[in-house]
Amino acid sequence: MPQQQQDILITIIIASVFLVLIGIFLLVMLFLYIRKQRKNQQEKEELKNRFEQTLLKTQLEIQEQTLSYISYEIHDNIGQILSLAKISNLQLNKENFESKTELIDELIGKAVSDLRGISHNLNHNNFHQIGLYESIIQLLHSIEKTGKYTTSINATDANEIEGFVSENDIILFRIIQEIINNIINHASANHIHLSIEKKEQFIIIKIADNGIGFDTTIIKQENQGIGLHNIYTRAKMINMDVEINSSIGEGTVVILKMNI
Amino acid sequence: MLSYYIYLLVITSSMLVCLILYKSVKKTALKYFLPFLVLTIIVELSGLWMNQHGIKNYLLFNVFTTVEFVFYSFLFFKHYRKNENKLLSLLFMPLYTLAVIINLIYFQGIERFHTYTFLLGSFFIVVFCCLFFYESVLPEYIESTLTKEPFFWVCTGLLLFYLGSVIINALFEYLRTFDMQFEGKKIYSTINQILNILLYTAFLISFIVCRNNNKTY
Repeated sequence: MPQQQQDILITIIIASVFLVLIGIFLLVMLFLYIRKQRKNQQEKEELKNRFEQTLLKTQLEIQEQTLSYISYEIHDNIGQILSLAKISNLQLNKENFESKTELIDELIGKAVSDLRGISHNLNHNNFHQIGLYESIIQLLHSIEKTGKYTTSINATDANEIEGFVSENDIILFRIIQEIINNIINHASANHIHLSIEKKEQFIIIKIADNGIGFDTTIIKQENQGIGLHNIYTRAKMINMDVEINSSIGEGTVVILKMNI
Repeated sequence: MLSYYIYLLVITSSMLVCLILYKSVKKTALKYFLPFLVLTIIVELSGLWMNQHGIKNYLLFNVFTTVEFVFYSFLFFKHYRKNENKLLSLLFMPLYTLAVIINLIYFQGIERFHTYTFLLGSFFIVVFCCLFFYESVLPEYIESTLTKEPFFWVCTGLLLFYLGSVIINALFEYLRTFDMQFEGKKIYSTINQILNILLYTAFLISFIVCRNNNKTY
């Protein structure tokens, strides 16, 4: 067979093998692509599950906080009033009958009124019924009630947050609650100011106190407190930036910036 | 000749595996493979017998390869999930048969292998395979593992077979010219048989995958 024909036959074989290899390459690429896509999908699912778990945990924490508030109210307020009423009842005699019954009546009336207050609070503390803004107001109100703090709120764009953050509002509320808890536990402040504003495509929530402040470099340390750690991880989950500005003796401002 | 016997052995094994696992295979569209593989073996043996007795077997293979393309197209029709792909494979069946008839009557005649329409069929099968793979990567269908899908193996075999055989089929007439006849024929049959072994092994794997999918642990 002439050399030329032999070359042609070899070319045919090589070209056929080459085409089969292209087919194999295509299949391998397809296989890798699908594997990558499935991995991405699994990661997405995991992220979703983690988000749902956090949401559930957040709801439980809010419930716990409400229950602890009620327990405090019953123990320190209604309990005290009723104990006083009981003592007054034991001290009843002919001489002080009128004044004591008047006092007992007044005390029981106050206990009933406080119980009504708690019941009203329980009904209206339901986050899903009253929404984020009203929940923040309630939170500040309950802090003011302790008598140790004064609070103020500047929320010209309050309506904006209800519409935009509705899916993540419970987590956002829990973050605000955690920041305020930190102020109560560590800041030695007597005033808390909260502002909500909409700037371009951002909702900005600022929580400021007039407390002792702290060195913000500890935030970068790995062994930051659970409260602070929770704030950061949850903020990340709802795509929110957290900025903490503070220095010793100058109070603290926490800025939550959420892209809408 | 050795590769031809291996090829026959692989087809027979494929048919036997299909028969043994028929209980699992019949739950899928691959159940149509059993009569098809029986037909393939009959055609191959008849072709061999005709060849050994000096009878030209072009007509037999012209008809069989047409049935083969229509059958594969039908399988694609059964496995596609998108309506436009289903329609394409459905339309291919009558139109391709018509094209082969026209080719055999007006162009290449029944005394020659229908290379024009064979190449057309090969092209469409490769396109059908690509469409099936495309459907598999769509987000709505990506949940299932591809290698656990029996038709994936059928598609793999078809893609490699028709990609690999396109050149030898395009040069079919040239390879059989007088001065190339011996080597040309040898190369044609060797490549064809190797690819066929690959194809029928892929079919065999698809039947085993059918069985594995039906296992209850």
